[in-house]
Amino acid sequence: MEAKYDFERKYRDQVLRCSNCGFCRAVCPVFGTTLRPAYNARGKMLILKEVMDGTIDLNDELIETLFQCTTCAACAESCPSGVNVPDIIKQVRKDMVNIGSCHPAFKGMNEVLKNHTNIYAEDEPEDFERERNKKAEYVYFIGCVGSFREDEATLETLDLLDRLNVDYTLIDEVCCSGVLEDVGYEINEDLVKKNIDLILATGAKTVITGCPYCSRTFINKPQYAGLEENGIKVLHITQFLNDFDFGVTTDKLVTYHDPCDLGRHCGIYEEPREIIRKIAPNFVELRHNRVDSLCCGAGGGVRGAYAKNSIAMARRRLEEVEEVGAEVVLTECNSCVHNLANAKLRKQKFKIYNISQFVNELMEEAE
Amino acid sequence: MEDKTKKALIDIVGEENYTDNLIDLISYSKDASEHRHRPDAAVWPATAEEISAILKLANKDRFPVVPRGAGTSLAGLAVPEKGGVILDLVRMNKIISVSVTDRLAIVQPGVVYADLERALAPHDFFFPPDPASGTVATLGGNVATNAGGIKGAKYGTTKDYVLALQIVLPDGRVMRTGSKCMKSSSGYDLTKLFVGSEGTLGVVTEITLKINPKPSLTSTAMATFEDLEDAGRAVSEIMHSGILPSALEVVDQQTLIAINQNTDLNLPEVEAILIAETDGHTREETQFQLNKVIEIFKKNNASTVKQAATKEEAEALWTARKSAYAVMSRINNSLAVEDLSVPMSKVPNILKALSDLAKKYDLKIPTVGHAGDGNLHPTISYDGTNPDEVKRVEQASAELFEKVIELGGTLTGEHGIGLAKAPFMHLEHDPVAMDVMRSIKKSFDPNNILNPGKMALEG
Repeated sequence: MEAKYDFERKYRDQVLRCSNCGFCRAVCPVFGTTLRPAYNARGKMLILKEVMDGTIDLNDELIETLFQCTTCAACAESCPSGVNVPDIIKQVRKDMVNIGSCHPAFKGMNEVLKNHTNIYAEDEPEDFERERNKKAEYVYFIGCVGSFREDEATLETLDLLDRLNVDYTLIDEVCCSGVLEDVGYEINEDLVKKNIDLILATGAKTVITGCPYCSRTFINKPQYAGLEENGIKVLHITQFLNDFDFGVTTDKLVTYHDPCDLGRHCGIYEEPREIIRKIAPNFVELRHNRVDSLCCGAGGGVRGAYAKNSIAMARRRLEEVEEVGAEVVLTECNSCVHNLANAKLRKQKFKIYNISQFVNELMEEAE
Repeated sequence: MEDKTKKALIDIVGEENYTDNLIDLISYSKDASEHRHRPDAAVWPATAEEISAILKLANKDRFPVVPRGAGTSLAGLAVPEKGGVILDLVRMNKIISVSVTDRLAIVQPGVVYADLERALAPHDFFFPPDPASGTVATLGGNVATNAGGIKGAKYGTTKDYVLALQIVLPDGRVMRTGSKCMKSSSGYDLTKLFVGSEGTLGVVTEITLKINPKPSLTSTAMATFEDLEDAGRAVSEIMHSGILPSALEVVDQQTLIAINQNTDLNLPEVEAILIAETDGHTREETQFQLNKVIEIFKKNNASTVKQAATKEEAEALWTARKSAYAVMSRINNSLAVEDLSVPMSKVPNILKALSDLAKKYDLKIPTVGHAGDGNLHPTISYDGTNPDEVKRVEQASAELFEKVIELGGTLTGEHGIGLAKAPFMHLEHDPVAMDVMRSIKKSFDPNNILNPGKMALEG
């Protein structure tokens, strides 16, 4: 029988190979919060098996589970059968969109990016008090969350780059639009072209991104191949800052949250820790760290579509901070900072920062 | 589900804890076995009182109720074969108390094994029966299957640790069994009757477990054997030498070949590998025990013996054993994990029988297992979409069970009967024993409400 959907054509073997062992329950942030097996990777694979068997068809009834996945890849990492659930979910979302079944928040995001340059439909970009689009050695690419929701954190990161005498420029950046591929749509070629042209015009040979998701998009999406073809290197800011000595330290008990996009998706675990070791000798790991890190709940479009569960996932992550008694939580992803900060309870006295922002504050205090 | 039953269930657990949504019914249609059947509805109760009301209703309206933990059963224990309502105990996940003084932990059935381990660790205590699915499997499931684990030979299985239970009976009455004492000979041992009863007699809502002080040190060694029978003799000799290793595991040649074909681990493709771990509170103690084990390995013609000098090296020695499941579950789309147990002296005989069956039915049957207690897991990775191959797997399994019983073994060491082994119960249990089991089932559950279709109780 010929496959009806692309997910089956591409991933039939993987869906069948899920042995239903259920080990993904231990790591799935959506299951951990809702305790509902239908949202877990095993539940999703069972549903897709039935679609392939023809006992059910893709339809609106399935939106609630197939669109409620942060694509954090914790399940894929722990899967004994090696099933890459996020890739399957991203494909099945495209199949759903093709037949007209889509979560309205995801549809909205695609519409917004047709008419605006960022996911928030903000028409007045922050200028961050800096000249843009100039000639420089580096381009600093902020990302939507850093530009419009965590702009103060971004300002501090930029101050740090100034302190370190980095020759960088901002550009009139637009959304990298990689996220559209995760929520059932295609990357927006107009936005891609605009970013590539702006980057090339600066003469920079390296793009530093504040957002690990933008890094992933620039490095992995074929639409951004133009960067590599022109000899442009893409670094996440933790990779870039790793070469510096800051000459400041804190006595505070510090912990680190591995963003999924930086850790599991890019394999960057040690660079952020090396930076933290330089500034915070009093460091403690969270219970789930590195490849086992627990997602903050923001990814895969879940923050927009399932806000309540997204915040509940962040709360679970913050419970681990309480467990180790840390005073400062560092990470380096504006989406994580944003979601964790929104979830923080008043009684929780620790502070949440990007590493770059925290280093800047320490240097400022030392002056 | 009839509207009036649905309404009554919602009255008991609340709208948010009832579902008949398609996505939920599908997610509850399977466990880790190859069996599949959708329920009609599922509920997420939070108290024994709610469960009592649900079971009373089930008896009145005559619908099946299937208790479920994490759904990691390899034998179909949690599959709602006859539809009805899934009783998902996931919300009953509180560790009620830990008392080191009395060596007790009291838990709700939905507590995950690993969460109890984490709660006991600061006290240097542990709960020894550690199923391989311990990061997700629940203690209610441990009790329902009488789960074991890698430490069975030294520390026993779940039944050796369950001191008392709170149980909701199928008619809705709530019963407490056992006591919080380390020993008791008071009345029939109702607690043990419920351990391993697979959710067919009642719903466990509270578990009182004996916990053990955790030895702080382990020593590990691995030996390779060119001849399977030498490995078998080594196991047997170790287990009557006076030393009780905390783990003694076997990996057979088929497994080693499968691992090598699918990874770059490059393991020696010998007839068998044995891995032994000893535990204790001083290095002298663990090493003394391990020296004895190594001596027996060598005496029985081990071709190589390696002892781990560090924790990392110990982990490396465990690689073959611990990567087996992942490798097997990647080879093909269906997996049959068997769970036979034989008297220890018969381990070489059953491994030989497995090799013969593999040839006869043109299958690969790699086997790993807990050699120290004779509990083996032959694992068949096969194409479940190929009817001929499915048939050969079924025939080989049926013949295997006959051989196991012939050798004085048992159908299942730690996974339970469920649906997978139900057709073979009569091989192991004589007609009188089957009759007694069915009478017990009838006296507790005359209307066959709880987990029907399991354990061949309907005869």
